[in-house]
Amino acid sequence: MRLYQGLLCLYPRRFREEYGADMVLLFTEQLRDGPAPRVWLRTAVDLTITAPTCHLETHMHRPPTSFVPLAIGTVSVAGLLFALVGGSSPGMVGLGLAVAAIAGAVAVTAWRQNRTVAAAPPTGEHWWRFLATGVAVLVALTVVTTITGELDSWSWMLAMVVLLSGLISIAAGFVLGVVHLAGHHGPRAAG
Amino acid sequence: MKRPGKPLPSASLHIVLALLDGELHGYALMARVAELSDGAVRMGPGTLYGTLNRLVDDGLIEETTDRVTRDDNERRRYYQLTTDGRAVAVDELVRLQGLVHRIAAHLPGGATA
Repeated sequence: MRLYQGLLCLYPRRFREEYGADMVLLFTEQLRDGPAPRVWLRTAVDLTITAPTCHLETHMHRPPTSFVPLAIGTVSVAGLLFALVGGSSPGMVGLGLAVAAIAGAVAVTAWRQNRTVAAAPPTGEHWWRFLATGVAVLVALTVVTTITGELDSWSWMLAMVVLLSGLISIAAGFVLGVVHLAGHHGPRAAG
Repeated sequence: MKRPGKPLPSASLHIVLALLDGELHGYALMARVAELSDGAVRMGPGTLYGTLNRLVDDGLIEETTDRVTRDDNERRRYYQLTTDGRAVAVDELVRLQGLVHRIAAHLPGGATA
């Protein structure tokens, strides 16, 4: 319980002062009524999503609902990039992949919480465009770098930015596609 | 005040629908949402109170102030729909019912939901 009380410092002060005691009470009751590991896991995901959102809301009146999922999705892509490009040992690759997987799962959860019921997010319907654009960018980059041969430092930096953009687009398309298709093929309510 | 015609996000929608029955405190509200969604929506403390905070700001719900003394824990804060909040909740219900009817009408064989 003290751990959770300590974690509440991740929320903005005003929010903490207003709702902190209620949140601790709620968490206590959840622990009382459910298995502790599951409650802690759910609360950790909840905290990862809502703490940044609360901070954003202290600076912006009402940030776009897609902002936090996309921000966490970017962390997932960064983890993937780290594993692919910067991983010099199996441990580092594993760390990058773990960050990518965890952040990806949290991003999908955040997206599902923020979407409107029965109205697919407009970008969700166009997930394949993100995917196709990303692939097209990577193919174009491969062709260009093959033709031009060795790159100088500025060209190399530009190529890395383009590569990153392509990978982010592919990742966004993948996440949006999973969310979109999950909406179509998810479990249906009984009755 | 919520812009007319714009659907509520999932968490807000479930909370206003749960409050249609009357005032609830945080834990009861969370349990009611889980019950209404058949266990599909389980809110953590951050989601619940973050959403309540936004709904209070939007004037859709309010903290109950004229509540009579109860036997349960008085530290709890209870929330209820405002007049605007109830109207929005009913609008959302109508929107969802319309959606279900339209989809059911287009299902093969004219199946109903």
